[in-house]
Amino acid sequence: MKWKKFAVVASLSVLGLLLAYAIGEMPSFGSKNTPDKLHVIPRYLQKSEEEAGAKNIITGVILNYRGYDTEGEVTVIFSALCAVVALLGREKRRLSRSGVDAAGKPTSVIVNTVVRFLVPIILFFAVYVMLHGEDSPGGGFQGGAVVGASIIIFTLAFGLPKSTEKIPLGFRIPLESIAVFAFLSMGFLGMLFGVNFLTFILPGLSHELAHTVRFLMLSFIEVGIGVAGGIIFTSIVFSMIREDEYELQPDLSQS
Amino acid sequence: MNFSRIFHNLNYVVSAVLFLMGLYTVAVKPNLIKKLMGLNIMETAVFLFIVSTGMVKGGYAPIVEKGVKASEMVNPIPQALILTGIVVAVSTTAVALALCIKIHERFGTLDASKIPGKEEI
Amino acid sequence: MSVSSFPILLTAIPLSFAALCPIWGMWKKEACFPWSVAGVSATAFISWALVSKFSAVGTIGYKVGGWAPPWGIHIRIDFIGMLLAVVISSAGLLILIYSWRYIVHEVEEAKIPYYYTLYLLIFAAMLGFSITGDLFNLFVFMEIFSITSYALVAVSGEGKALRAAFKYLLMGAVSSITVLFSIAFLYSVIGSLNMLDISKRLPNTPYVVVVNTALALFTAAFAVKAAVFPVHMWLPDAHSIAPSPISAILSALVIKMGVLGIFRVVFTIYGHGFPSTSNLWSSLCGFVSWAAAFSIVIGSSMAIIQRELKVMIAYSSVAHIGYILLGICMLAPRGMTGGIFNIVAHAMGKACFFLVAGSLIYKHNMKRIRELRGIGRTMPVTAGAFAIASLSIVGLPPSAGFMAKWYLLWGCFQKGRYVFVAMVLLGSLLSAIYCFRVVYYMFFTGPRLHTQKVDEVPPSMYVPAALLSLGTLVLGIYSTPLISAINKFVGSLPVK
Repeated sequence: MKWKKFAVVASLSVLGLLLAYAIGEMPSFGSKNTPDKLHVIPRYLQKSEEEAGAKNIITGVILNYRGYDTEGEVTVIFSALCAVVALLGREKRRLSRSGVDAAGKPTSVIVNTVVRFLVPIILFFAVYVMLHGEDSPGGGFQGGAVVGASIIIFTLAFGLPKSTEKIPLGFRIPLESIAVFAFLSMGFLGMLFGVNFLTFILPGLSHELAHTVRFLMLSFIEVGIGVAGGIIFTSIVFSMIREDEYELQPDLSQS
Repeated sequence: MNFSRIFHNLNYVVSAVLFLMGLYTVAVKPNLIKKLMGLNIMETAVFLFIVSTGMVKGGYAPIVEKGVKASEMVNPIPQALILTGIVVAVSTTAVALALCIKIHERFGTLDASKIPGKEEI
Repeated sequence: MSVSSFPILLTAIPLSFAALCPIWGMWKKEACFPWSVAGVSATAFISWALVSKFSAVGTIGYKVGGWAPPWGIHIRIDFIGMLLAVVISSAGLLILIYSWRYIVHEVEEAKIPYYYTLYLLIFAAMLGFSITGDLFNLFVFMEIFSITSYALVAVSGEGKALRAAFKYLLMGAVSSITVLFSIAFLYSVIGSLNMLDISKRLPNTPYVVVVNTALALFTAAFAVKAAVFPVHMWLPDAHSIAPSPISAILSALVIKMGVLGIFRVVFTIYGHGFPSTSNLWSSLCGFVSWAAAFSIVIGSSMAIIQRELKVMIAYSSVAHIGYILLGICMLAPRGMTGGIFNIVAHAMGKACFFLVAGSLIYKHNMKRIRELRGIGRTMPVTAGAFAIASLSIVGLPPSAGFMAKWYLLWGCFQKGRYVFVAMVLLGSLLSAIYCFRVVYYMFFTGPRLHTQKVDEVPPSMYVPAALLSLGTLVLGIYSTPLISAINKFVGSLPVK
């Protein structure tokens, strides 16, 4: 064990020297005239609003210029979901208790009331974040993470059975798939019109109409990413929760 | 090696140190959850590094507004990249935690040295 | 949708089929298999259609979203991308058909839709990885196939599989983060993510040290994915314990993605113009070729001492990654031809090996080599496929593996690296021992009774294995078109 630690420290210090050497040669922090700020970026900064249809340039880059990466990103979350389900299975639905937490103890009234009050507000905020991604900080994925967080808070307070009642498995499975497919379908829509995959300015429409259609398509994608993110994180957490195990173990704190 | 430059690029230095700390945790700590924490520290280090490279001193957030010139905005690409990076990190962590749950169910421990097998994880 | 949009369909079709697969699983579990076969065969058709276009026009490009290359993501199918796309889609189809009957044995029924979904995802991600021309897109697709392969290793839920998968995950995740770190280094001083654009801007960069660090980190990280000698520890565990179709896809295709990553970095990005300004490039190639040569010897000798068939085959993969990388990084034109040719030869041979090992587990639950007595008489097609494929793995004429090793040795002689010649020959000798030991147990031991009846696995399992093994023979005999195409491609690379 000791020699292993020694070997790790030795190799890490070699790596550290390499990194320090590289960092010493990096352009200084915050400088304006480095290659990464002069080569590709100016076009994004100047033309994003007109070309990509987003005032928030980051959103323009994510959804439009580099939309293919974002499609990959949605696929990454989806593959994480499939991986977790392939390992753990979907949540078990045989328990139907409410008003108790995962350890079988009754949950506090204060927590329940606060959560009941907070969850709608959080969801409202999530929708705001999702839909205002193109002109302010935010976007589909961030909104989806907030949706997922609100459902997880609800589950923590009221237990798994109650929240699976609200969003049952038969509703989540199709929604996950369709939300992931939403992004791809917008890509195919462009191809049907004869332009490249993930092109949002469709040919054959007037200037005004094309921009409206692009706005609708981008919003659809944002909501798709949001729903995919939210519902997939919810499903991952649901299938990780192990309520029945706690019942088998005696409560050690009382003995 | 240019030491004054290193001092000037403190963000980069911190991210390199965090990266090494994470790698040390992954390699040495026997607890699987600690190893995962190490992985997440490494990921955070890289995100810090990428975002720092896009920084412009006195720059504005890259959102088109009246009165903000395009030349004064920070680089939007690193921010777009780490958004994908964060999603990837979350997904990897989710799969790893699922594996940990299974390992705990199966072996009753999360200590790598107690999980039977030829060599250590 | 015309032929010009085919490059994007290579990933978009399997991704769409993957996204919708769980819905079919909800309706009927049996519907998932035909659904995924439809997706994979459509993709295979597209990749073969692209071959005919590729042979007419050369490198195929596609602008995703219609954005010109440095600004948008550019799909760029060059020769090696095209070659890998064809290998992935064809072998992927055969392995998928094989897994239909096999997977029922190892995976719980409720999880079968997710098995097929993960299969489609890993398939799409490998295709996307091979054809993309963008550095960050490469990372994204690498993550998709990494995450899916961690899960697929552990999908059976056995204790050993969980352990192997966790080990694989740790090493894979560290290498992924390192790739992201090096992308950050490279991007911060070059300012582009398009590989061709980077390679054009590299020779003029004043930040040579940073760029060199990125090169070293990239190579180390992709070496983990490829399982080259000092960092191969995850491979024998993960590949031997996974369900056999997954072992086949991991050993035949996924580790090749690590090789392709090294190739992309060393040749596509850093290969043009940069070597003249830095001597790290050539010394790094030398270092990788030494590591590759050691993986040949160590992988082969570890394979010899194994008692379990699948562990033996997994160690043999370490050795073959060594042959491929030695050819690619030795910087000899003929060696490069041999290395690239071995990607195809090894993919077919190793996929066949794992499918045969899976058939033996499926039929008789045989895992050890000693138990294989007389299998050659009761399961003639399966054992025959193994015997033919082992010709290719060992490298005997007239198989494809022979051509690969022939060109590899030619390359070693071109460069005058006689140590490598000795190591390659030693590796081949060792591989002859471990392969023919299995063939000997299969055909020349056990009861010689004529009353023994042929008792084969279902045709959906032995036909893919037989096709793959015949493929190694056909490719060995009609190797000229592929060899000349590879030679032409190698002529455009900076190897002399």
